[in-house]
Amino acid sequence: MKKSSLLQGTLDLLILRILELGPNHGWGISNRLQQMSKDGLRTSQGSLYPALHRLEMRGDVKSEMTPSDNNRRARMYTMTAAGRKRLQQETQTWNAFALSMRRVLGTNE
Amino acid sequence: MITRIIAFARGLMRRRKIDDEIVEELQDHIEREIEMHRSRGASLDDARRMALRDLGGLTQTIESTRNVRATWFDGLERDVQYAARVLRRSPRFTATALALLILGTGSATAILSITYAVLVRPLPYPDSDRLVFVTEKDGAGVSWPNFEAWRKGATSFDGLAGSLADAAIITSGEVPRRFESRSVTANFFGVLGTAAQQGRLFDSTDARPDAPPTIVVSHTFWVRELGGRTGAIGQPIALGSNSFHVIGVLPPGFRYMTPADIYRLIEPQVAANYRGMQSPTTRTNFYIVGRLKPGIGVAAARREMQTLHTALALAAYAKPPKEWGLELVTLADRIVGKMATTFTVISGAVTLLLLITCVNLAGLLLTRSAARAHEFRIRAAIGGSRWHLIRQLLVEQGVLVAIGGVLGAAAGAIILRGLISLAPRDLPRLDEIHLDFTVMFAITALSCACAFVFGVVPVLKTLGAVGQALVAHAGRGTTRSGAWLRSGLMIGEIALATVLLAGSGLMVRTMLRLAHTNPGFDPHNLQTVMFSLQGASWPDERKQAFYPSVVERLRAVPGVEDAAITYSLPILGSNWWNVFMTEGTTAEYWTSVGEFPNAGMAPVTAGYFEMMRIPLLEGRSFDRSDTPTSLPVAIINSSTARRYWPNASPLGKQIRQGFPNAPYGPWRAIVGVVGDIKQEGVDRETPQQVFLPVVQQPRTTVFAVARTRGPVAGSSIEAAIHDLDRTIPVFNDRTIEQVMNEASSRRRIAMVVLCVFGGVALLLAAIGVYGVIAQGVADRHKEIGVRMALGASSGQVVRLFLRHGLIVIAIGIPVGVVAAVVAARSLASLVFGITVTDPPTLGAVVVVLVCIALLASYLPARAAARIDPLDALRAD
Repeated sequence: MKKSSLLQGTLDLLILRILELGPNHGWGISNRLQQMSKDGLRTSQGSLYPALHRLEMRGDVKSEMTPSDNNRRARMYTMTAAGRKRLQQETQTWNAFALSMRRVLGTNE
Repeated sequence: MITRIIAFARGLMRRRKIDDEIVEELQDHIEREIEMHRSRGASLDDARRMALRDLGGLTQTIESTRNVRATWFDGLERDVQYAARVLRRSPRFTATALALLILGTGSATAILSITYAVLVRPLPYPDSDRLVFVTEKDGAGVSWPNFEAWRKGATSFDGLAGSLADAAIITSGEVPRRFESRSVTANFFGVLGTAAQQGRLFDSTDARPDAPPTIVVSHTFWVRELGGRTGAIGQPIALGSNSFHVIGVLPPGFRYMTPADIYRLIEPQVAANYRGMQSPTTRTNFYIVGRLKPGIGVAAARREMQTLHTALALAAYAKPPKEWGLELVTLADRIVGKMATTFTVISGAVTLLLLITCVNLAGLLLTRSAARAHEFRIRAAIGGSRWHLIRQLLVEQGVLVAIGGVLGAAAGAIILRGLISLAPRDLPRLDEIHLDFTVMFAITALSCACAFVFGVVPVLKTLGAVGQALVAHAGRGTTRSGAWLRSGLMIGEIALATVLLAGSGLMVRTMLRLAHTNPGFDPHNLQTVMFSLQGASWPDERKQAFYPSVVERLRAVPGVEDAAITYSLPILGSNWWNVFMTEGTTAEYWTSVGEFPNAGMAPVTAGYFEMMRIPLLEGRSFDRSDTPTSLPVAIINSSTARRYWPNASPLGKQIRQGFPNAPYGPWRAIVGVVGDIKQEGVDRETPQQVFLPVVQQPRTTVFAVARTRGPVAGSSIEAAIHDLDRTIPVFNDRTIEQVMNEASSRRRIAMVVLCVFGGVALLLAAIGVYGVIAQGVADRHKEIGVRMALGASSGQVVRLFLRHGLIVIAIGIPVGVVAAVVAARSLASLVFGITVTDPPTLGAVVVVLVCIALLASYLPARAAARIDPLDALRAD
């Protein structure tokens, strides 16, 4: 299968999935996304940060500036209860959607 | 409010912090990326390049992340910056619009603030709408017996109180000093609802004949004269030969009619000092204020009082005297009185000016939005959101109106100060006037509405048809409907200017008439002061000897040509009205006619007529042969002679003051007739007057009048009187010309305001006409080129545009004249010697307006004729 560009709206879902594993900073999330992209999902780093801030404005994640090595500070993102709930819902919706798509298109697994 | 501002500021600070943190976060990301690439063996430069590439550019990402955080406020900030840039880029438009806003809102704020303070705001007494003012017929003061009868009989009131303005001479100090005072009934402050700031105010026990004499003082007096000490309550103060105790201090700023420093009770003094008030038909300066019971209307109270008053007359007389009657108005109406017309007129004028300003602003914005419609269509076509465009326009107009509003308010404060300096000192409620925020808000709202309707709406309309409009109007912005709207606005502007100019014309003619009215005496170079010979140390004999010595002393003052003493000053009005009997006519005769002869009585010194340059028509004037013991004599004015001795010479005829059953003074022989003078004011009817030798009729407070060669200071007159006796209070120094100026001040205010506004309106109308025609020329630039290329003469081109101007004039001026005739009715009580539809005035106004409007249309039309056809065709 060819690498397809990330369907709109799925970036939020992926971020929440990564954060479900534990708090992480932007670069860490970006790295995890990169690994995922080897699995066929390609994201651009440029759209990651607006997406993170949008999620925070919506209340799905919260963030805090934390000190990191080399005298720098990084913004550490943590999933909120609302974000966890949203992840569940969106995952269900997505699975249902994917299932219907598979049925329609037939399986080649 | 303050907490909101703090929250807003905190929000701003937090935003700044988040902005910084976004930068920090992204930098951290890039550095981690660089480290990662380096650890895989890339050079530093390559690593940095790859990191930035993967992020899609640092600034772009910062910007897009910030946008997620952005609120409406950030957009607004950008819009304001953009608007400021746009306004700076077209300085001519900005300057004109601001000038209009400052002029219009400034003058309107100032004048409507005054009107609001004087006419609209309630009087500074609790429940002041229940306070009424009661007088006898024609606003005359009330006699004591009538007041007592009303007080007993009337049921509409919680209380009826009376007061009269007088003066108090404080004799406790080194030199006697005069203070404005008011004698009041014991319930006066109760009826007004005023409470003491210190001590207490009068109550009924103070009014008992055996009660110790008490006074209440103003806050100013307490601070200035009594040192503001609490201990001042109970302190004795000598007024004349009596000692009074201060029992209370009024709240700061308390004022009833005229300002006063000392309030004393009228009741114990009525019998002794105000004999005149005892007869039911005498005119007095005693006026009544009443507090209506809750729920009782002014009309109902008036009906009750009039019924009561008629019953009083019927009980005392077979037939009520002609001058019997009663008037009851609200206190507010009485206080504002005559000035109400002036304020209505100037408020009307400023409202018209404000309208013209808005019309002009509208025209300006219309032209501008037409010119910018193209810009907005393009922006809409390339995807600018409608809401964004509208918001930006709104912000632009908002910035304009906000700057104009702030500067306009500043201008308003300056204009207000100027107007107050122009106002007569006795302007009612002068001390309550300040720049009013309600007024300012209303006016700003009006300008905002105007800016929105004419600056934003037309653009919205053009946005409606984005696509085809772009193609159709390549570059030329104006639409036909816009042009018609502008012409309509022009017509309105010319009509409004006509109204204002007609008003100023009427007032100018009135002032000229007044200046050219012969007052019957020579008012130039007359300096006057008042002095008072009060108390037991001034028996009549001493006064009689004193008057001639004052005149002698004043004649010796350098610069003084001649001097005299009089009880009533011309223009200022008579201080003493009295009925009189004529020889050989019975009381029955006058009762049957229903009117007793009456006149203003003026005791004067010998030489008064010569000094005033009042012509002697018959007989002789007063001279040294008139002494306290010589034959009692009188001199009457020409009006009195004509009225009572129409067919014979009045010389030698006898008259006597008072009623047949209550005569006052001796029979007097008429020895002379003098010319009429404008005793009551230049604009008033000449009253009947009887002059008496002051040595035969001594008075306590009189005017000393000096005819001078040039300006002579009132203080040198005062010094001369003090040379004779240092204990005499001398006050109110002024010239007759000042008195005349004060008397015409309400007309002068109206004239100045109407003239200034009329001039501005004319200017605005001219600019407006010029603008519309010039815009027409600009819009049809190419068409003119074609016409001229096809052989149209420059005369034809001029006529083409002049015709537009002529149409506007031909509609606007007749509309304006009709409106002016209607509006001029409000000037009826201000004009003098002409009618409010004075044809010469209206004619002159029309001629001026036509000339100016024609000039304003001719200039752009001529410019059109000078268009080079080649240039015009090459453009675009």
